[in-house]
Amino acid sequence: MEPSLILIAIGAPWIGAVVVWLIGDRQPRLQHLTAAIASLVAAAAALWLLQPTFWGETGKVVLRLPFGAFVGDMTFVADSLGVFLAVIATTIGSLTVIFSQGYMAGVAQLGRYYTLVLLFIGAMCGLVLSGNLLFLFLFWEMTAFCSYALIAFYNDDPKAVAAGIKALIVTQLGGVGLLIGIIVAAAYLPDLQISTLLAAAGSLPSDILTIIAFGFLIAAMAKSAQFPLHIWLPDAMEAPTPISALIHAATMVNAGVYLLARFYPAFAAVPGWTAVVIAMGVTSALLAALFAVFSNDIKRVLAYSTVSQLGYMVAGVGIGAIFESQFYLFSHALFKALLFLSSGAIIHELGTRDMREMGGLWKRMPQVVLPFLIGAAALVGLPFFNGFWSKELLLETALESNPLGVYLPLALGAAITTFYTARMCRMVFFAPIQHERTADDHPHVPLSMSLPLALLALGVALAWLLAAPFVSWMWATLPFHAEYILPHRAPESLISTHTLFAWSTLIIMSLTLVGLYLGWRAGATTAASARLAPRIGRIEAFFNESAEAVSGATRQSAALLQKTQTGQLNWNIVGIALGLIALLIIILQGVL
Amino acid sequence: MSIDMVLIVGLILSAILTVRARPLTAALWLAVLSAITALLLYRLGAPEVAVIELSVGAGLITVLLAFAISMAEDESMPASIVPRPFAWILILAAGGLLLWLILPQLPGVKAATAAEAPFITQMWENRLLDLLVQIAIIISGVIGVLSLLGESRRTAEPKMEARS
Amino acid sequence: MSPLQLSFMGIIALLGVGLYALLASRNLIKIIIALQIMTKSAILALVVAGNATGRINLSQSIALTVIVVDTIVAVLALALVVQIKRQTGHLDAAKLTDLRH
Repeated sequence: MEPSLILIAIGAPWIGAVVVWLIGDRQPRLQHLTAAIASLVAAAAALWLLQPTFWGETGKVVLRLPFGAFVGDMTFVADSLGVFLAVIATTIGSLTVIFSQGYMAGVAQLGRYYTLVLLFIGAMCGLVLSGNLLFLFLFWEMTAFCSYALIAFYNDDPKAVAAGIKALIVTQLGGVGLLIGIIVAAAYLPDLQISTLLAAAGSLPSDILTIIAFGFLIAAMAKSAQFPLHIWLPDAMEAPTPISALIHAATMVNAGVYLLARFYPAFAAVPGWTAVVIAMGVTSALLAALFAVFSNDIKRVLAYSTVSQLGYMVAGVGIGAIFESQFYLFSHALFKALLFLSSGAIIHELGTRDMREMGGLWKRMPQVVLPFLIGAAALVGLPFFNGFWSKELLLETALESNPLGVYLPLALGAAITTFYTARMCRMVFFAPIQHERTADDHPHVPLSMSLPLALLALGVALAWLLAAPFVSWMWATLPFHAEYILPHRAPESLISTHTLFAWSTLIIMSLTLVGLYLGWRAGATTAASARLAPRIGRIEAFFNESAEAVSGATRQSAALLQKTQTGQLNWNIVGIALGLIALLIIILQGVL
Repeated sequence: MSIDMVLIVGLILSAILTVRARPLTAALWLAVLSAITALLLYRLGAPEVAVIELSVGAGLITVLLAFAISMAEDESMPASIVPRPFAWILILAAGGLLLWLILPQLPGVKAATAAEAPFITQMWENRLLDLLVQIAIIISGVIGVLSLLGESRRTAEPKMEARS
Repeated sequence: MSPLQLSFMGIIALLGVGLYALLASRNLIKIIIALQIMTKSAILALVVAGNATGRINLSQSIALTVIVVDTIVAVLALALVVQIKRQTGHLDAAKLTDLRH
């Protein structure tokens, strides 16, 4: 049963992708329908895998496709880390597909759009369920390609194309790190199964394990948009908004956190590794939150908020809180998808992303405002939404394990998060109307857009109830991670008055209230703080400028080398012959 | 003089003749070269590849070459842009280095036998992924050729109109 | 000398002749033929390696892959040559410098 479910979760979106492509752009309704069905089938298969009878263990292969002794078998494993992310990718993915029916109505080249979205969802499922490092890498690269093609979907807009290429280059940097790690691992391991690496990590030479660990870390840094490789994510907002929801919540950025969590037991002992992970997460959490405060583009605020919240998860993995960070990832996926989709509905209606041109939406679009506010409340961590429980759990563990280095900055980050969220909500919904349309014009939001919003809002309000089953599931299926999954706490006590009255919660709640108050006040004036804004803007620009400096240097050196390119085939062959001679001389030196 | 010596001399001779001839003749000499290679492969204990080399190298490629030469008519070319002596220096340097690398070890080289899976198992089981990728390459090659040759009809027509 | 040892000479000679043809000829069809000669050298080298290490079946399967890929390369290159002839009217590699910066 499990093998076919796994195959459906990965295969249904891919078959759907081919079918949508074959249908052609002349029948958009049929395309919408096919895409929705394909993604819903995958979601059903992934949800079906949640049944206790189907629980698998890390290293226990449920599906093995033989690919010969030279590359190893393509294996799939149904442990909680993988299935959990596959469920997120397919369910939130199918909700964004349904949402797209309203959002993308009338857009040209729908076939390309849906084909890539479905390919993306299937590749993400394969990435998290794969038990073989080589195939994990293949799926990893597939998601990188899909994100590039979807960010650059409006390919007549040079900004979108530039953003897509930026995302591709940055994530490829991570892909190179992953590939180096995998190749080095392949040289020292009998096969490329993930469980083999986890089991053999202790017996590998320490310098080899260090190379693997930091290679994987670079991959996660690029994929999960952590400093200093976060630069692609804010630009990725050029994509259609459902794609932003897909990238930020369902598929792309989760892969990096998944990689860190998956291999944490292997790399935790590598000197300096956890310190770098923590530093990366904490810096991202703080700096991105600061950037969000000074952005006026609603999608940019949300994008920086994703970088910041991912920082929480990464720092959580760094202190060994695997369950807490995965639980937070679960909450974040729900509320960030909700926030992006409802902001998409707003953008779709107003035709602008600038919050200074919004305002007064409270009365006009209640069916969108309510879900957005629920999502914002979860992002802030107001009781008793899912963001509250997961963030408090994570921060409580941080207070116990590393109060100064992790808890303090993350608590500060939580305060800044409430600040920019309150500012955003006031500017968008409650400020005086800034746009020309009249206040009593109630736009029609189609069912295909409001239904996903309602479902996600319901999930945000209730998903925290799953904490106890989630932790026992993780205990049962992750033998390598067992010692890192809340060893000191009973699952039943996760959601309880204990959390509610913990010291950490009280501190965070008071910080939240302060942040809310200040943010609410800041939202009244559309102009950002005159004194701080340029400085923060300068820091924000610094990362982009340094990336541009690197690309500029690359381009200049290429221009220098261009002089050697005569375009004459015969002279190129001379280069090859000279290379051959040089190679032979090197080999001869080794032999003699 | 053993049959192997004859084969090697024939191999080198046909290669030189291939390079010196005009394209259509060169294609025929290439077929001869391919046939000799196939014989040599057979002598080296690789009968399966020898058969495939004979049919593909000497058969298919020759036909395709002849076909392409008839489509793109032959023409005379001016001398090479890389000076001949320079080319000779490069070739002799590379060949000399290779010989220097190989000759000292040559007396020790002899045919070895080791236990290993049969050819079919190696092909279809141990290197299954490679095989699948090969199939993908073949399919993409076919698509490439079709689009390359199909495009000419579409692009050729507007040009004719533009000229008239 | 055994066929194995003699083949080394054949491999080096084919490589040299093919490389020389690549350096010296401007005719695109001759360039494809030169590539073919060098591929023969590679196939021979693979089988020789298999013969010398006793893993002839593995080397045969890899040589088969080389033949397949090489055939695809030749077919695609010939299609390109025909297309170049139609578009530019000549087969001279030295004149194909449109992409030069």
